[in-house]
Amino acid sequence: MFNRFTRAARDVVLRAHEEAAALGHGGVNSEHLLLAVAAGGDLPPSLGIDEESLRAAVKAAPGDELDGQALATIGIDLDAVRRSVEESFGPGALTGRKRRRRRAGHVPFSASAKQALERSLREALALRDRNIGPQHILLGLMSETDRGVVQALRSCGTSPGAVRAAALAARREAA
Amino acid sequence: MSEATQLADATSSRDPAVGLAAVAALRALLESLERLQVDNARERGWNWQQIADGLGVSRQAVHKKHGTRRLIGRRS
Repeated sequence: MFNRFTRAARDVVLRAHEEAAALGHGGVNSEHLLLAVAAGGDLPPSLGIDEESLRAAVKAAPGDELDGQALATIGIDLDAVRRSVEESFGPGALTGRKRRRRRAGHVPFSASAKQALERSLREALALRDRNIGPQHILLGLMSETDRGVVQALRSCGTSPGAVRAAALAARREAA
Repeated sequence: MSEATQLADATSSRDPAVGLAAVAALRALLESLERLQVDNARERGWNWQQIADGLGVSRQAVHKKHGTRRLIGRRS
């Protein structure tokens, strides 16, 4: 798949690693990819998303993929679990953040990030584009079921649907 | 969390999408907790048999799952 990535798309992936590492998150999640797209200047300007507020939103997220909302449906308070675990094992213990940070430079891709990159390939195919660029990564990230992305966008006052529409509109204009 | 709880109440508890998402989330939480506890036990010098007994599984199972993970301060 990666041999179809343009230079700019590879830069997005590298940048996502750097963003995740800089935030001290244990893995590269889809929201780090989104942040990398924004940092590369590849968000549709019409959305008016500020890179720094997006970074703040991603920073505030726990940096793992535990689904507090789904757990709440069966009566489990994830925040309470996190608190009690961190009381004994320190901040970030549940996410493995502390532990993984010591392994120099190695920040693995999460399932959400992998799925988003796979979708970017499908987006390129659907648009009949030969290569995968930052725009396809952006479109691949815009899934309503991706919690990290949905939450980060919500903090910036937008949604995957709106970003997707803006990205496709910008593409039509450029054509 | 109250917002999430309200959301949960609003959705039918018989909705498979809700139920399956809860199971998936619980599994992810379980895996995180297991990794944390096994690593802690190893750091404290527990052997695989002791850890397996604690988890109620076979020594082979726990070693296969966690044996390849490198621990802090045990880098060889």
